[in-house]
Amino acid sequence: MNRTIYPYPVLRGRTDVEVTRVRLDGVELEFAGIGISQRTVALAVAGRDEWQEAAIEIRAELPETEIADGPWSELVCVAVLEEAATNVRTVHRLTKDRGSGTWQGTVRMARSRHHSRAGLRVQVVATVGGIPGRRIGGSESDWVLDLHAKAPQREQESPAVVEVDFRDGPHSWLRPMKDAPWFVDTAGGDMPVVYLNQAVEGLTTLLSGKGGPAAKATAALAGAKIESDVWEAMFHAAVGDVEADEEGRPRMPTGWRESVLQTMLPDVLPGLSPSDAIVEFSARREEGYGWAELQSRVQYAAALRAQLPKQLANAMRATVRPEGEDR
Amino acid sequence: MESGEEFGPWLGRQLRRRNMTQAELAAEVKVTRAAVSAWITGRAQPRPETVRQIAEALSTDLGTVYARTTDAVPAHAVQWYHRPAHSDGGREFGNAAAFAFEADLRVLAREATQNSLDERHDPTQPVRVRYTLHELTGEHRRAFLQAMQWESLKSHYAAAAASDQKVGRALVEGLRELEDSETLLLLRVDDYNANGLTGPEYDDGRFAAVVRRQLDSHKVDNRRAGGSYGLGKATLWATSRLGLVLINSTLSVPHEGRTERRLIGRLDLPWREVDGEAYAGPAWLGEPDAARGYEGVSRSWWGIQEETTALHLERESDDPGTSFLVVAVHDAAAVAAGDDGLHAMHEKLVDSLADDFWAAMTDTASVPPLLKASVRTLRNGTELIPETPVSPDQRKPALARALRAYLAGETVDVLGVRTDVALRTVTLNVPPLRAEGKAVGNTAHEAVLLVTPADDQDRTHSEIVCMRGNRMKITTQRPRDLGFGVEPFQAVLLAGFATARDGEDVSRAEAFLRASEPPEHNRWEWTEELSVAYARGAKRRLDEFRASTADALRAVVGNRAVPSAGIATELLRERLRFTQSPVAGRQGTRRSRGYPVVDDVDGEVDSTGAWVLRVRVAVPPSEDAWRLSPVPRLGGGRTGAGAAVRWADLTVTENCSFDGDVLVIAPGVRYAAFTGITDPDTHPVDTGMANIGVDVHKAEEGAKRA
Repeated sequence: MNRTIYPYPVLRGRTDVEVTRVRLDGVELEFAGIGISQRTVALAVAGRDEWQEAAIEIRAELPETEIADGPWSELVCVAVLEEAATNVRTVHRLTKDRGSGTWQGTVRMARSRHHSRAGLRVQVVATVGGIPGRRIGGSESDWVLDLHAKAPQREQESPAVVEVDFRDGPHSWLRPMKDAPWFVDTAGGDMPVVYLNQAVEGLTTLLSGKGGPAAKATAALAGAKIESDVWEAMFHAAVGDVEADEEGRPRMPTGWRESVLQTMLPDVLPGLSPSDAIVEFSARREEGYGWAELQSRVQYAAALRAQLPKQLANAMRATVRPEGEDR
Repeated sequence: MESGEEFGPWLGRQLRRRNMTQAELAAEVKVTRAAVSAWITGRAQPRPETVRQIAEALSTDLGTVYARTTDAVPAHAVQWYHRPAHSDGGREFGNAAAFAFEADLRVLAREATQNSLDERHDPTQPVRVRYTLHELTGEHRRAFLQAMQWESLKSHYAAAAASDQKVGRALVEGLRELEDSETLLLLRVDDYNANGLTGPEYDDGRFAAVVRRQLDSHKVDNRRAGGSYGLGKATLWATSRLGLVLINSTLSVPHEGRTERRLIGRLDLPWREVDGEAYAGPAWLGEPDAARGYEGVSRSWWGIQEETTALHLERESDDPGTSFLVVAVHDAAAVAAGDDGLHAMHEKLVDSLADDFWAAMTDTASVPPLLKASVRTLRNGTELIPETPVSPDQRKPALARALRAYLAGETVDVLGVRTDVALRTVTLNVPPLRAEGKAVGNTAHEAVLLVTPADDQDRTHSEIVCMRGNRMKITTQRPRDLGFGVEPFQAVLLAGFATARDGEDVSRAEAFLRASEPPEHNRWEWTEELSVAYARGAKRRLDEFRASTADALRAVVGNRAVPSAGIATELLRERLRFTQSPVAGRQGTRRSRGYPVVDDVDGEVDSTGAWVLRVRVAVPPSEDAWRLSPVPRLGGGRTGAGAAVRWADLTVTENCSFDGDVLVIAPGVRYAAFTGITDPDTHPVDTGMANIGVDVHKAEEGAKRA
């Protein structure tokens, strides 16, 4: 739902929220942990994991001139801290600072009630037309409070890539796959992990693309193949996690799963919006019609996403000498 | 005899002005020449009856001699003196120093203000600088031109403009503008609590450095400032379309026993021939000198209030300092602004001062600033734009905050809050001077690095501003290897006197860094001066200084959490990066959608409590007709899709038709619009309580209105 209208006047101006200071059990978090441009706080920046409570000082700027002239009364600005993974929602009332005209407050985040990434935003609520407690505005984008990040990175920007020896490396569960050049692990709630097998001699050298144009093209082609495998694995993992809402409609998952589905579904089921596509996908999985065809579409979408056709063409151009030149 | 100025210097000047020798006066008042000499040097005072005779000898009244606030006789009329051509026939076509600068108010503001800062008189008080733009028209313009004897200059301008040299062409333009526009724009640059143009008329001193010479930087206080009034003063003349600047100075040290209203004008023209006489270039407005060797040369005169008022040179207090009046000031950018030129120039001056002198203007509750600056604009003597004080926070709020925290001693070790300022010391090892021999080792100077998060409005950030002296910006440094995704920051490096400390190491560091600057004072690097004056390894000390500055910065802002991985891993990670943010916001704007979406909804609640919605649907081009179910949803938001409600009525507005509740859009159509009225009976909550939106889905077969 991307266009929403209200039956009463709401704020047109922007509401901005900013984290100004964070303390973990009373000890100040380094400012390096607060990424203003990324709107992200890395709570593990100091390498401390044993804290119980984070006190997050925030400041919100509301369109005050609009509010002063508007039809709203008993205006309240609250900070909302939520995390879908643990279904926690904490609401904290902010107070208006007379000097700066901004709304300020400290949100307390209990470590035990959160799992990995919490969202923080502000909501503006007021009495409109005699009815109290109506939402009239809020911040447009959330701040992300990341419990595990050591640096404030908004996007869990890519799956992790790990180079290990599958035969006798630290991950014993990889041993059965010792002949595989790579393995994509999408299990668990965190980002998928791609394991590159160091036991396959020359793989990392090949992927680094050192050498002439042929070596580069080969590296790009191998990279594209891995990438395509990753997208395919991620897609299936994401689709497998789709749950139904109260009306029985499949609900879009969150996090990287949402990213994967939003990116790939238009290629898998063209002409359908991502939410329609999930419905269609779930229906086919349950009822079985067109299921095999859909598998091919997933593979196609992953290959497209990985630019496999382009890299293949490049590799062929670089390795196959044009006719008549070898004499 | 205690009023006005001292008797001795006053009498000496009266004799000089009348071209009368001490012996001649002695003869007239019947005393010995030695007695007159004793009066002039202040060793003796004349008796009252002798004073009467002196008054007669000077053909003036007794009151004038006792008051000594004016000269005894009307001075020789103030006039323009044009330097005769060089006897060797050499011709100069313009002031070389003036060509080094562009006619730009930004440059003028920077150079003139730096001069004022270097000439600060009372070091416990700020030097105050005021820029006044003054537009004259009609009678005001005429009166001013008359006061500066414009008529007598016309023939010189005409001759100079006739030359085909660069400066001649610029003059033609300036003269044409003066004739055509009927306005004259003056820029006055005042400083207060500055030294003023002290010193003798022709010999070494501030006055001669500014008025008589080019490139003389009058290095007096060599310890702190790099010499004031150097190349920079030429910008005053360069910004005048007519090459003409008038000066009024109040001196901090009396000259000829006086301090107030030392007036002089200077004109820079190229070589020219007027009425058969050849002239070298410069001309001065002043009193004809009577002293031997300088006969006829215009020298500065001690003016009266009527003169300074007529020349728009009256100063607002007797605080020492200098007023420069740039006649017919010019700025290319302001010309481009057209009618708004005055406002544009005013703004430009304010911005330039804020940009270049935020550091000198920064103060705390207990530490005064080094500089206060303001800009105002007048038209014919009345205020057009009120005086605008320039604030250090105006353009560089974060940098000013950093410096303020340092001056107030409120810096921290680790950045916690956004307004925190972290302090690190950076050591500069100053090598000994060659002259000191091998016995002397390096002197360690603790420079100060201040780091604070950048403000959102900062246009330039993530670089180190390096300063010394009067908090003068020398250069900026952009350290590399800070790691990926470092937050924007502001940093200042204070070295030498900019640290606001004093001591042996401070003055040594100051001198060393100054020696490492090229004439433009914009880098710290190897220079000829450095290698001549300092022991071996000076360049290396500078490199170390730069490296340890970068290290100190990295320790504060650098991202240490980035692990280094193999190239293959990095390449793969790069390729696998999601293009879309996976966070909860869900505002991914997808430009080329492959599916239908509702792209606009507007509407209101009617009297029955139903929503009347005007909906527009965008569809991708398709060969088949689209069959879509539009579904109104109440109370949707970030946590859920909301509750679906039913339509009571659907009406086509544009490009579509309805098959029951199914919206049918013909092939090839990009947009369709309809109006829908919801059925309030199906609303799960009161209509007024919840927001509404519309979804479109592919229609399920058989979904028709019941």
